[in-house]
Amino acid sequence: MYVQASEGRPVGVAPSENHPVSRGKLCARGWNAHEAPAWGERLTKPLVRRGGRLEPTSWENALELARASLTTLLEGGKSVGVLGSARATNEENYLAARLARGALQTGNLDSCLRATYQPFMAGIAVVADGRAPAGTLADVEASGCILVLEGDLASNHPQAAHAVIKAIKAGAKLITVGCARTQLARLAALHLPTLPGERAVLVASLIAAATRESAGALEPSLPGLEALRASVAALTAGDQLRQAVTWLRQADRASILVAPEGGPPERVAREGTAIATLAAVTGHLGRPGSALLPLPARGNLRGACEMGVAPDLLPGMAPLNDASAVARVARAWGRAPALATGLPAEAMVGTVNGLVVVAEDLSAVLPAGQHALEALAETECLVVLDAFVTPTTRAAHIVLPIASFAESEGTTTNLEGRVQRVRPAALPPGDARPGWQVLAELSAVLGLPRSYRSADDILREIAKVVPAYDGVSERVMDEAWGTFASPLPADREPTLQPIATDRVLFALPAVLALDGVFDWGSDPLVSFSPTLCRDHVSRRKLYPSGLVQMNKADADGIGVRQGWPVRLISAHGEAVLPVVLRGELEPGVMLVPYAFRELVTGVLGGRSEAPVRAEKVQ
Amino acid sequence: MANGARTIAKRNVAHWLAALMRRAEVIAPVAAHGGDVAFAPIASPEQVLFEFGNTLHPPKQFVLPQTDPLAVIRRNGNGVEIEPVHDDRPRVIFNVRSCDARSLAFLYRMHASDLPDGSYLARAGNVTLVSLACTVPCELGFCTCCDAGPFLKEGTDLQLTDLGEHLLAEPGSDKGFALLSEAGDLFRPARPEETGLRIELEERAKRLFGEETCHFASAMRRISTGRVAEKLWEAMSDWCVECGGCNFVCPTCYCFSIKDMRQDGSWVRCRTWDSCQYQAFTLEASGHNPRERRADRIKRRFFHKVSAQYYLRDGTVGCVGCGRCVRVCLGTTDMPAVVAAIREGAWNG
Repeated sequence: MYVQASEGRPVGVAPSENHPVSRGKLCARGWNAHEAPAWGERLTKPLVRRGGRLEPTSWENALELARASLTTLLEGGKSVGVLGSARATNEENYLAARLARGALQTGNLDSCLRATYQPFMAGIAVVADGRAPAGTLADVEASGCILVLEGDLASNHPQAAHAVIKAIKAGAKLITVGCARTQLARLAALHLPTLPGERAVLVASLIAAATRESAGALEPSLPGLEALRASVAALTAGDQLRQAVTWLRQADRASILVAPEGGPPERVAREGTAIATLAAVTGHLGRPGSALLPLPARGNLRGACEMGVAPDLLPGMAPLNDASAVARVARAWGRAPALATGLPAEAMVGTVNGLVVVAEDLSAVLPAGQHALEALAETECLVVLDAFVTPTTRAAHIVLPIASFAESEGTTTNLEGRVQRVRPAALPPGDARPGWQVLAELSAVLGLPRSYRSADDILREIAKVVPAYDGVSERVMDEAWGTFASPLPADREPTLQPIATDRVLFALPAVLALDGVFDWGSDPLVSFSPTLCRDHVSRRKLYPSGLVQMNKADADGIGVRQGWPVRLISAHGEAVLPVVLRGELEPGVMLVPYAFRELVTGVLGGRSEAPVRAEKVQ
Repeated sequence: MANGARTIAKRNVAHWLAALMRRAEVIAPVAAHGGDVAFAPIASPEQVLFEFGNTLHPPKQFVLPQTDPLAVIRRNGNGVEIEPVHDDRPRVIFNVRSCDARSLAFLYRMHASDLPDGSYLARAGNVTLVSLACTVPCELGFCTCCDAGPFLKEGTDLQLTDLGEHLLAEPGSDKGFALLSEAGDLFRPARPEETGLRIELEERAKRLFGEETCHFASAMRRISTGRVAEKLWEAMSDWCVECGGCNFVCPTCYCFSIKDMRQDGSWVRCRTWDSCQYQAFTLEASGHNPRERRADRIKRRFFHKVSAQYYLRDGTVGCVGCGRCVRVCLGTTDMPAVVAAIREGAWNG
């Protein structure tokens, strides 16, 4: 994708016909990507809080103040933390990890969306012998059978939806799993309904169907098969599930796409293990041309994870007890990294005394929503690097203005693992600087100096620390459209594990859940784009007090119509929201868009779904 | 257009381009990143491509930019001062393909008729089109169905045809004649065998389209007489992911929004590209949206482009057959697919 600029400002976007992933196709967010950097409220000067107000200052003052505040906290034995971002480049995320584990010597390091993605990769790795997710969207397009664990790909992952649509047009069988008859579900040969939070249970039933069939159809050598079969023996597998398994098995190439769903990280990891197991028992795990791809909720989420932005990982997603990884990091940084397991993002907000946030609006992304802002009031020193004015920058003590994506150099890693170069198309406004430069300066004033002349210098250092990125710097320069980080060698068979099949919780009649894990409408790249923000703004105007979706039969059952308020009562609490009818929903499923999650925090009791009773407000 | 045809030796084209660059901004297809081709202002004649598949992004951005400043609004004491922005720099759009030349003529008529659009006309009025006729069809083009190629009879200022060692140049307007007379000795009158070859090339190019037909006439009849079943749009709507790409790359789409951008203490009123496929395109201030369903939006798009309205005014449909929507569609609802569905009365994905 090209961002076009005039007099240093972004003014348009053009597609790239030869890009191997997009092949000239952009989604709405791509076609309007130039708008937010051009029309958005931009940060142009470093700001520091004096007497309750943010006032402009020099870079020297701002960095010195950040150094002094964070050092004072550390010397006083107080806690600090760093949040990287799926909106930032690999280089920025790597330097965020270096700032936390190197300069600040803390394990409190995370990104807000990591928990929706990285546990899934870890869950796959349990079965797939440590290998990363496999395949490309081109593989999906060429597949004969595709299984999609839905989260509304057509809205949230249009490029992935496109690969699926093209495959269907070419004759592929699509199987969707989810609690709503979404756009893709309507195009599917088979839709397998499930309740929110129970996708993994359905996948376990598919495994039961696969392992129960004649043993000859399975790879006899798969270690752990008997224990796996025993673990799913109690599950029923009806005709539809058997049909799905037959299609998967018969396809020369089959792909599995998994949209993010909320829930505790352990459950996300179990889902990863289940899905990789299903791929293994249907013969597609590691098969060339078959893809197994979890979908990151946001652009560079995979890259942020691979740069080690996580409370329990080192760059390269190495565990903290990996001695050779520790040695590589220590050599590159000139200092041993902190090896403590830190707090995850949500837990950091309001508990750590000093927090550095890179390119993230916490209230827009974290499950706590607006409550995150209230918690931030407890933070003694909040340093925020961003290109845009957001509620988080307004709450900061020190604001460091950085370049937006349109003005940045660096790399990002897409869902397939393709490392792609970002080149500056416009000039950062005012005194804003490249994010990598500011992070390097911040580490330097905190006692970990290193002079990087360019983002590419950082990529070369990443190559020394992250084995999979070895050689990426050269290849990403030579090859027009990026290059793949080298996958780990796959020299062993999949190792099957017994599957935990406990159902999550539900006793019908009704389940309330959040719809999605991310709200594009609150993201600065959308909320600052005059074209893109319209849908979300109008929705908020129409439903200032939020909304809950249910199907018509359920609404009739309690005697409410479109727009009428209903009271949702759970064991944890209750809330009143207006009803929006959505015929696509399975009976008993009620969804609240992620954008309105704060309104049902009490009902959900901190979970992403809960059994509820809905009643008409008299 | 054969009247006044002249030829230029290819070795002299760089001199001609250099002369054009002295009097205007010359915009031409150039090599972009990784094998892409894009229209861009050139810095030297050598950049200009003569053998290229058409660019995916159309040259309409040079007459109708995605962000188009219309007026600067400043505070002046207690009032405001409004200064129109007119960009009337002379531009030459060079080696534009027949379909795109045709689309620019279409856009000009559209902005000149009824309520003339001063800002658009100031920019477009100072554009000279030098088109390059297509001697072979491009992969996805169906210009023959829209009377927009492979060669043009009108709608371009100067049409070039590649004759091998020479380019044949046929003026199609006063601007075209002026270009040739300014170029002086670089061109000489075309010889009869050269004009003969050009006619042969056109016939051969048309034959190469084979049985290509988009059935616009049949679709237009059905649309204009209300014979398209509603369920067709409903079925189609699940095969569109609402990216807006069809509108943005369409060389004849011109719908826009108006927004004010804050810039250095003043406001700049901008016209920006918009897509009729976006849900909020027709959203009213009251919150009511007359085309909330995607099926209705798809229907509107094709009712507009394939309706008799354009035909009555322009003698053609609102499509020049460039095939770009086929390339950019994130679903499968491109122009040829939808026209076929309207004609057959069935949508098969």
